[in-house]
Amino acid sequence: MEANGDDKTIFTLSELTGAVRDTLEATFPETYWVRAETSDVRVNAASGHCYLEFIEKNPKTNQLVAKARGSIWAKVFRMLKPYFEMETGQTFTSGLKVLVKVTIEFHELYGFSLNVVDIDPTYTIGDMARKRQEIIRQLQADGIFTLNKELPFPDFPTRIAVITSPTAAGYEDFLNQLLHNQAGYPFYPKLFPALMQGEKTEESVIAALERIDACREYFDVVVIIRGGGAASDLNSFDSYLLAAHCAQFPLPIITGIGHERDDTIVDLVAHTRLKTPTAVAAFLIHCLDQQAATLNDLEERFTHEVRGWLKEESYTLQQIGSRFPMLVKNRLEKNLSALHILTAQLPGIIQQSVNREGSSLVQMKQRIRVATDSRFTHEIRFLELKEQFIRMASPEYILQRGYSLTLQNGKIVKTVKDIQENEPLTTRFMDGEVVADIRQIKKKK
Amino acid sequence: MAKKAESYNEAIDKLRRIVADIERGDLDVDCLLDNVKEATRLIKLCKDKLYKVDEEVKKVLEELES
Repeated sequence: MEANGDDKTIFTLSELTGAVRDTLEATFPETYWVRAETSDVRVNAASGHCYLEFIEKNPKTNQLVAKARGSIWAKVFRMLKPYFEMETGQTFTSGLKVLVKVTIEFHELYGFSLNVVDIDPTYTIGDMARKRQEIIRQLQADGIFTLNKELPFPDFPTRIAVITSPTAAGYEDFLNQLLHNQAGYPFYPKLFPALMQGEKTEESVIAALERIDACREYFDVVVIIRGGGAASDLNSFDSYLLAAHCAQFPLPIITGIGHERDDTIVDLVAHTRLKTPTAVAAFLIHCLDQQAATLNDLEERFTHEVRGWLKEESYTLQQIGSRFPMLVKNRLEKNLSALHILTAQLPGIIQQSVNREGSSLVQMKQRIRVATDSRFTHEIRFLELKEQFIRMASPEYILQRGYSLTLQNGKIVKTVKDIQENEPLTTRFMDGEVVADIRQIKKKK
Repeated sequence: MAKKAESYNEAIDKLRRIVADIERGDLDVDCLLDNVKEATRLIKLCKDKLYKVDEEVKKVLEELES
């Protein structure tokens, strides 16, 4: 510092900045808690120091009202970053509302800056929760918050549209678990690649959803997964736009975004929210296990019924079969006893019959005798008459009574006209014959 | 009997009804036999869908743009 003739005090730059620094250090000797938003966060890879900007915006107009450079020295940052990320489930990055404890520094060469010595993650969590609540309220007001949840979940989710980064370890875990399931269910995963971290995540996932939507009839469910592990940048999954797309998607969405903290908004609107990609695979396998169990149960009930029915029927048949010999025996015995009775009755019956026949024979005999007797009498009488008649008609009888027979050439002559004049006539008498020549023939007139 | 293009769900619903019918036990023997045949077919169909790779689905998905 020097004085010139005009009574002016003139500083060198370093003198002035040094004075400012001294004043600042004297005025703000302590550490101070400051609420601000992070911006332009970057980490020097070589030194490990983190540099950023702290800003404040007018909440109504969103215009910047304050801005200050900030720094977190590597020694501090190595501890603060994991602590903050574990507590918030949120990468330490730009655009976060933070509550930080700072010392105020002024460097002659680099100027004013806030050096962070501590951070209170609860403030960030509170701010994130408030933002989330706002988005949730908006989705509810739009009437879309529960749309995806209301979709019927398919009983048979095997055709799976997978949104993830193909290089993510989570994707490999998912495929491994899904495709090597114990029961051997066939699954048909189809990858729709998307960026799962960084600023482009939101639009990239939305684009993947749109590609799936174009061929949605080929899929049963959509799975959104990303590798678990490191606490990660989940801002994109708390975005209104992505959540709105998911909520209104026509297929049920299952999330396995791989994080430990409270659900992201995408998780909240998804049909089913799971923690990790492997949990999603296990869930899908479980769905089919349930189907297999249902099928198995039906099959068992079915075979049980049919077996029971067969048993019953064969028992009935057996019953009938076993009763059959008895029935036959009974029947035979009945017949046999009837036969016995008959046999026993038979001699009597025969006797009766013989007796009856015998008496009838006797009667017949009598009747025959009577009939023959009368017949004989009759016949004898008839023969006697015949005899008498024959006797009376015989030539001897006739000759005895004085008639004679005339024969010529051995034949009886009955009429004059048969007589031949030149032949002798023989006249037969009772006691001999006379042969005489014909003298005259007189015919009756 | 039934057409071939049943989905898994249709098949399992039919199966459920048949098993319930059989369990009620008021089917006559001819009807029961038909049902037994149909149920056997449905069980096979469902098992195929549950355990066998459907090459057609595989092919369609492979050909899809992602």
